[in-house]
Amino acid sequence: MKASRFALERPRDLEEAGALLAGAGGLAKVLAGGQSLGPMLNLRLVEPALVVDVSGVAELRRFDHEGGTLVIGACCTHADIEDGRVPDVGADMLARVASGIAYRAVRNRGTIGGSLSHADPAADWLSALSALGATVEIASRSGRHRLAIGDFVTGALETSLQADEVLAAVRIPMVPETARFGFVKHARKVGEFAHAIGAALIDPERGTGRCVIGAIDAPPLVFPDASVLFGGSIRPGFASEFDRSVADRALIDAGVTDPVARHVHIEILRRAVIQAEGEPLVETRAAA
Amino acid sequence: MNAHVRPPLKAPLSLTVNGRSVEAEVEPRTHLADFLREELDLTGTHLGCEHGVCGACTLLVDGEPARGCITFAATCGDAEIVTIEGLDDDELTAELRAAFNREHALQCGFCTPGMLIAARDLALRLPEPDERRIRIGLAGNLCRCTGYAGIVRAIRSVIAERRDRGIAATVSERPLGPVGAHRPGASPRSAPDRREAASASGIPASAATSVREFTPAETFEQRFSVAFPPERVFALFGHVKEVAVCLPGAFVEATPSPERVEGGIRVKVGPISAAFRGVANIERDEATRRGRILGAGADGRSAAQGEVRYEVRPGSEPETSDVVLTVGYTLKGPLAQFGRPGLVRDVAARLTAEFARNLETRLSGRAVEAEPSAPSGLNPFRLVAGLILGRLTGWLNRIRSR
Repeated sequence: MKASRFALERPRDLEEAGALLAGAGGLAKVLAGGQSLGPMLNLRLVEPALVVDVSGVAELRRFDHEGGTLVIGACCTHADIEDGRVPDVGADMLARVASGIAYRAVRNRGTIGGSLSHADPAADWLSALSALGATVEIASRSGRHRLAIGDFVTGALETSLQADEVLAAVRIPMVPETARFGFVKHARKVGEFAHAIGAALIDPERGTGRCVIGAIDAPPLVFPDASVLFGGSIRPGFASEFDRSVADRALIDAGVTDPVARHVHIEILRRAVIQAEGEPLVETRAAA
Repeated sequence: MNAHVRPPLKAPLSLTVNGRSVEAEVEPRTHLADFLREELDLTGTHLGCEHGVCGACTLLVDGEPARGCITFAATCGDAEIVTIEGLDDDELTAELRAAFNREHALQCGFCTPGMLIAARDLALRLPEPDERRIRIGLAGNLCRCTGYAGIVRAIRSVIAERRDRGIAATVSERPLGPVGAHRPGASPRSAPDRREAASASGIPASAATSVREFTPAETFEQRFSVAFPPERVFALFGHVKEVAVCLPGAFVEATPSPERVEGGIRVKVGPISAAFRGVANIERDEATRRGRILGAGADGRSAAQGEVRYEVRPGSEPETSDVVLTVGYTLKGPLAQFGRPGLVRDVAARLTAEFARNLETRLSGRAVEAEPSAPSGLNPFRLVAGLILGRLTGWLNRIRSR
């Protein structure tokens, strides 16, 4: 339960971080809040020669608005978002997701960028940000580029990050006032990894929506045009049109063979859809 | 210390603990709770699970609760740490101590230091003595004595009393980012520890030498199609070395008999890599074109046992085959503790796809390209076993072993 030996570097900026990572020949691991990597290091599931701690890099600890997009630095914590130090993209959307992640003592250090880079399929941000249409900004010594979450996360615990790249920021479009967001997570114990996640961003006035089934042990299943789940169109009262069979077929195609697991995933998505239709429920805040 | 152990790489650290400035030298791998307990003799911070689940090590970092066990001390330069010892004169903690005492909110006391710090945070932040939110807020602090009834009562009473006294709930102002992580100064840096990339095969020699029957803890099925007739596919499955070539990360060291193979597999899942080495027994039935590989392997800390049953059936088109793999495995050791069986399936699916592609290449008489992800002997991370991997590994093992 003690990490094996590693060297630690604490770069002051991303340029320095990129150089350290490039020089380590793939034997380095980026550390942010350490709330996922820490346990893996302690369990010796991961034994990097070098750990590059980017938690002190100022550029990663800020937010910005660029037009209609909220840009959150990768090292902003779940607690920063939960408490509103980082603004939200809509009424209690990001804050609600953040408040349900693990435990407060973990949220005080765990970061949004670290969570996405870890790419655990059962993690909250991966599903929530897929529903919100977020992109990630990746920094390397050769420059910056952006990727949709679906292109960034390539598998369970796998991302497209190259050895010298660091996720620098998460870019989330501001949600129009007419759109509603639902996010429901199913876990046996509060704070545990989810067994099922449902997320829905639906704009009944414009007739558009995106739905996500997460925690399927692989990258989340995204319905980029959620109208297929509601009989072909999204209108006010959409929740009553929710078509389980469409979700079921998609889960089968995604390789979820266990009918009980499919039932749970569909039910959790249905609850997220119901939540999106109604007023956001204060009681759904998991956190204290 | 054993002679072969390299001297620890220590780096200077300065931080504040319970209001006192501390200058020390720490190894990067030393977590904050160990540093406080072992170097500063502040043993009030308890260690339970050491992977962030039990909450016994919860302490205050820059005034906010954080896990001591998954926060490395060397990343906390210039941070302000407060442990349970530093809260002796804290007014709110004194109220909580009295309430814990009154409500029988502890028995053995192991969880109490972390519990008090979590309770203090709730008493500061919760607007009302809401039992539901208190219970949710305590989900990250495990108590196995009290059933939480007394703890919840104690915290409720303190919150109610304080709100009655006109003390409102607050969330403190603070900079963005992980608590305790301050901008690095010009502190001397340690040189990267370029550890030699493992031994020749990259896999520890400690390996299982015998294979026993077992009941798998986890099973799953994988299917794929190959554009070659069943008899050719089944024949190739009979050549262990050919199969190993098709299976990313697998290698065969010896085939003492047609029914037995020795070798290993190196698997990588995200940051986790595992390298298992072991033995497998092989059974084949020509008539039904079915086979079974039963293997056991270890990587030094984690052990895996697994079996792969395969069946080669005629495909839907003439001259094609469908292969059905049923994989069962049991994993023991740290990887098992990590315990997320489902992740294996995603990895298995990707490996199966690659295996099927390589199989076709091989059947068409071409050489399989070495996969870039696992150059021989050099994994991006020196691996230990993964649970995940483990399973995978186990699986691969078997497969490969065939």
